[in-house]
Amino acid sequence: MAGLELLSDEGYRVDGRRAGELRKVRARMGVFAQADGSAYIEQGNTKVLAVVYGPHEMRGSRSKALHDRALVNCQYSMATFSTGERKRRPHGDRKSSEMTLHLKQTFEAAILTQLYPRSQIDIYVQVLQADGGNYCASVNAATLATIDAGIPMRDYVCASSAGFIEDTPLADLNYVEEAAGGPQVALALLPKSDQIALLEMNSRLHEDHLDQVIEAAIKACKDIYTVLDQVVREHVHEVTTLLGE
Amino acid sequence: MAPPVRCCVPGERLCSLEEGAAGSGTYTRHGYVCASLAGCLLKTSEDGALPVVSVVRDAESQLLPDVGAVVTCKVCSINSRFAKVHILYIGSTPLKSTFRGTIRREDIRATEKDKVEVYKSFRPGDIVLAKVISLGDMQSNYLLSTAENELGVVVAHSEAGAQMVPISWCEMQCPRTHSKELRKVARVQPEFLQT
Amino acid sequence: MLTSRTFLKRTRAGSVMKVVREHYLREDIACGAAACERCGEGEQPCEPRLEAQPSGAASSLCPAPHYLLPDTNVLLHQIDILEDPVITNVIVLQTVLQEVRKRSAPVYKRIRDVIAKPEKHFYSFTNEHHRQTYIEQEQGETSNDRNDRAIRMAVKWYDEHLKKLNNEETIQVILLTNDRSNKEKAVEEGLTAYTCEEYIKSLIANPDLVDRLASVSDEGKDIESGRIIFSEHLPLSKLQQGIKSGVYLQGTFRANRENYLEATVWVHGDAEENKEIIIQGLKNLNRAVHEDIVAVELLAKDEWVAPSSVVLQDEGQNEDDDENEEEKENILKSSINKNMLRPSGRVVGIIKRNWRPFCGMLSKSHIKEARRHLFTPADRRIPRIRIETRQASTLEGQRIIVAIDGWPRNSRYPNGHFVKNLGTAGDKETETEVLLLEHDVPHQPFSQAVLNFLPKMPWSITEEDMKVREDLRYLCVCSVDPPGCTDIDDALHCRELENGNLEAGVHIADVSHFIRPGNALDQESAKRGTTVYLCEKRIDMVPELLSSNLCSLRSNVDRLAFSCIWEMNHNAEILKTRFTKSVINSKASLTYAEAQMRIDSASMKDNITTSLRGLNKLAKLLKKRRIDNGALTLSSPEVRFHIDSETHDPIDLQTKELKETNSMVEEFMLLANISVAKKIHEEFSEHALLRKHPAPPPSNYDILVKAARSKNLEIKTDSAKALADTLDKAESPDFPYLNTLLRILATRCMMQAVYFCSGMDNDFHHYGLASPIYTHFTSPIRRYADIIVHRLLAVAIGADGTYPELTDKHKLADLCKNLNYRHKMAQYAQRASVAFHTQLFFKNKGVVNEEAYILFVRKNAIVVLIPKYGLEGTVFFEEKDKPKPKLSYNDEVPSLTVEKTTFYVFDKVKVNIVLDASNIQHQKIRMGLLEPKILESGVPNQTTELSTNNEPAKKKTKK
Repeated sequence: MAGLELLSDEGYRVDGRRAGELRKVRARMGVFAQADGSAYIEQGNTKVLAVVYGPHEMRGSRSKALHDRALVNCQYSMATFSTGERKRRPHGDRKSSEMTLHLKQTFEAAILTQLYPRSQIDIYVQVLQADGGNYCASVNAATLATIDAGIPMRDYVCASSAGFIEDTPLADLNYVEEAAGGPQVALALLPKSDQIALLEMNSRLHEDHLDQVIEAAIKACKDIYTVLDQVVREHVHEVTTLLGE
Repeated sequence: MAPPVRCCVPGERLCSLEEGAAGSGTYTRHGYVCASLAGCLLKTSEDGALPVVSVVRDAESQLLPDVGAVVTCKVCSINSRFAKVHILYIGSTPLKSTFRGTIRREDIRATEKDKVEVYKSFRPGDIVLAKVISLGDMQSNYLLSTAENELGVVVAHSEAGAQMVPISWCEMQCPRTHSKELRKVARVQPEFLQT
Repeated sequence: MLTSRTFLKRTRAGSVMKVVREHYLREDIACGAAACERCGEGEQPCEPRLEAQPSGAASSLCPAPHYLLPDTNVLLHQIDILEDPVITNVIVLQTVLQEVRKRSAPVYKRIRDVIAKPEKHFYSFTNEHHRQTYIEQEQGETSNDRNDRAIRMAVKWYDEHLKKLNNEETIQVILLTNDRSNKEKAVEEGLTAYTCEEYIKSLIANPDLVDRLASVSDEGKDIESGRIIFSEHLPLSKLQQGIKSGVYLQGTFRANRENYLEATVWVHGDAEENKEIIIQGLKNLNRAVHEDIVAVELLAKDEWVAPSSVVLQDEGQNEDDDENEEEKENILKSSINKNMLRPSGRVVGIIKRNWRPFCGMLSKSHIKEARRHLFTPADRRIPRIRIETRQASTLEGQRIIVAIDGWPRNSRYPNGHFVKNLGTAGDKETETEVLLLEHDVPHQPFSQAVLNFLPKMPWSITEEDMKVREDLRYLCVCSVDPPGCTDIDDALHCRELENGNLEAGVHIADVSHFIRPGNALDQESAKRGTTVYLCEKRIDMVPELLSSNLCSLRSNVDRLAFSCIWEMNHNAEILKTRFTKSVINSKASLTYAEAQMRIDSASMKDNITTSLRGLNKLAKLLKKRRIDNGALTLSSPEVRFHIDSETHDPIDLQTKELKETNSMVEEFMLLANISVAKKIHEEFSEHALLRKHPAPPPSNYDILVKAARSKNLEIKTDSAKALADTLDKAESPDFPYLNTLLRILATRCMMQAVYFCSGMDNDFHHYGLASPIYTHFTSPIRRYADIIVHRLLAVAIGADGTYPELTDKHKLADLCKNLNYRHKMAQYAQRASVAFHTQLFFKNKGVVNEEAYILFVRKNAIVVLIPKYGLEGTVFFEEKDKPKPKLSYNDEVPSLTVEKTTFYVFDKVKVNIVLDASNIQHQKIRMGLLEPKILESGVPNQTTELSTNNEPAKKKTKK
């Protein structure tokens, strides 16, 4: 009868978070030995694996090479078991090509590509479990993997989504909130410089509210940043102590 | 005891440009040196000059062949115009993945370029020291040159399969059969002897 | 903050799917008690809602201070009690709220409103997200049991939590539940639990609350009382199956006003045949109530019945007396005419109940001290309801509201409970309340949530406002309205430009500046749809601060406006049209009479007067052009009451008179509306909100043409133009009122004008105004449609942003539907209010004799109009218990011959008017014929009924 109440009058969301709270984030770097860099992240129930190769020589057609910087090659895919219903996902379907393009744009903005002209950096992202915010989790995972690979970056790239329900901006939407079809903003931020690497919006939102929603998304990105920063520092620390011994 | 190492992460501001120059693993922005890698901070100061600030990682990060770099490569194939090689080392750093390079006939040696013949200089399987002269263009990949005395074949195997020894700048000899084969031989510098 | 999380696994129907949802359990949820220091230190400290010293009503069961904690069913059924100011300090659990939300949206809204009121001290505790009160569903446990357990868990937590307070007296938490097993379990666990009844009865000072307890019958009780009258309703799943396979038909149940044993069901869908199914007899009606959505099974053809013409009122006093029921049903069947047989059926199940609280009066039981009474709703289509009350004697003669709780199979009447006492029947306030309720006019005071969106006072125009608006304060703007008007929507100006042309401007209050889309204020206004004007009262669509102050274009204050400015030549031809958001400063608020006086007086030459004269000149030209195009000038008798300032009783009636200035203002409003309609349709061809007035089918005019012919006049109706012209010519020198009468008749032939969304229709024509396109723009304070039009126009000129709903034509169409409904209901309410005041007026006057004209001739009566009061009534020539006079009706003329007197339309007659108060619930004005005298039947025999109860006045247009 009545639809789902996404934000109760007491200010709690369906999963018990408040409007500005993130889901629990857990992350690990260096999960694969073969790849140059790899990372795994969980944002709530969204689980994403990212690996990075490169920079290396151009693969495939040489003509794609850029003479002054590296080419960032991304591939986004979702595991067949990542959603509630098992589904074959051929490569290059519309949704994942779009996501691929977004990732590419995001990381071209963050990686110091001019250091590696005529070469290629591959970022492969796979969503193992999808529960909303796939793009954001992918970006965050890829950031960690890129750092793991030792590819120089201007800054972290942190991404988070934000929605807008009952005049309140909600940070880090989960699947239920996304599926409700309200306005939704995905934002990738370079937190140190406060630069926006990518901003995408679905559905319609009144202009007056846009600032509020972006504000919420930026705040969520910075929260993500603190978590990722901690993960990276721990990882660096671990590696150096290992090395020291 | 070494002083506690400072870990840094990408984007982290290390110091202002007045305090230090940007080294590897860093970049400059708005007059500051910022880290671009996650790793340990290293300040090397040569007396008087600004200290160079760099970030180093445990595992050396991926290097790319750059113009002027001396690389070690292996010859894959030859034809009358050029030899195709795989770049294995840059300087003394081994690469994780190989890069393909080309040594054109005219780049094999510095003199008498028109008389050079590729098969008299390299054979597939040879290990060659070369210098990157160009990153190539749309059609070609790295262009290498051996047109220096220090550059050229360092390791080659004879038809019998034994490692040959250089006997002149253009000949090598098989220790087993004593047959001589033509190569563009490098005058090996002591610093490369270890490799 | 986030302490732990668990996964909820659910499966959905269809293909089984595992759904994993996160569920964060928190520790920062406050308990809401004021005395608790540990809670509320979270990052968002909300003020504690529960009082430290609960000052609820004293209860004999638990004298100690306590908080109440109702379970779902208590909340659902006893919301009337919980809303009472006596009940305070209640903890509403999230579990309970969610359940309520799922089961009943209206109750949910009500409890939300209650929680929002600070003086009620209701606190909603988010127990499902609290670490210590969250529980997981156990294997084999139904979700209901789980919820009950969660509620008990919360009570337990509260108990322990409150014990830790440093209070000299621990506050108890009392679980209110009507579920026996739940209560037992609670007691077992050492909790305090009472049924709602126990608790309410224990309240020492408030015995009257008991009456409001909903009678939720215990299953066990029912079986004892034996005789089952009705067959069981089928479960919903079966009904849906049946409807799919065509065995059952789904439709809206409409009870017959005249006959309580008969109803029709309007079948949903496009089916051509069996659109309307007749249900006859108590058993076939099977407990369906008017407006319910029901499933019907068709009866075999040989059981079909004809709609009866008998008037039957359920008058049995004794509720268990139904021997004569069958007798009555037989009466129905006896009058069967083979040709009249219609598809008949019986109700097999209810798909959706549409019960609302009903107004009505108590029919007191004859047995003294009895507590069960029957309640007779004012609406005759609603069955009588059995309620339990101890205050029958106080409630007698009062208008009360009763809600239906259920209708068990063994009960002749539905069970209900007393909700509210409106006041003494016949009282002005009470009757107004009743007519508002019965016409579904939302008239509660605006809730706090709505008021929160009002601008903060003192309000002034800010710099930002000025930046985006045109400053038109230098213009000599004035408003012209009826006397006593406080919600001034419109103001006008006119001036000569340097190039010799005239500039005329209409300035409309910029309500859309204050009411932003989607907020509570907007939603409330959209729900109300229109301001309802009753004789002595106004039910505002927007809160008074806006309607009478900030939006009202009063004189000599700066106000925000939406202006529509034309440049015209002296022939009133529009050269340029411009719309802009503006700031104006009205120089004068005039009444029609004052404005007229200024125009007429030769001595006045100030700016305002010149402006008015210019407007008047243009208006005349505009009007002429409009009439040349075929616009109709119609007439309906409108009356205005002179109301005594002390008693608020009407002391005199007066028909409204129209001045030139009325038409001047009207003309400019029409022009503005048409200009705006063009503009928004141009900009939004798919989702402009417009207003159309369809041309009536030619047969509608029969009565008008015939009536005119009887006076040797010809009315042409092939086009609006022809109609207008012939109406103008239709005059008779010895009968000056004839023209007005004809126009009144013509009005009755018209169709209803409606709002619609341009993308959903392709006929935009406004017949009455002879305009190809029309909308409402000029009264945003009192009509919601105008607010939408303002928003559309604002977007069109780039003055404001758009929002999703505005450009969704289905949403817009839904909105139109509501607006049309509200407008219709507001009109009915208005008429009912006039009728009631007319009654009051005649009550004070006693018997009055007046001249009247015959408006319609019917088979057994004549409808007359008394011009002096604008009052219309029916004079019947037949009455019960009297010999029937000989009537012969001629359909062609039309005329009615009673004995030897023949009545024609427009005949002048004399009638007497008297108030008949024999039935207090349905008071009537009776009219009797005085002249011409009919032989063999005296005055008292011919009575008339002007139905002035609170039913919508019957549609006066002929179908």
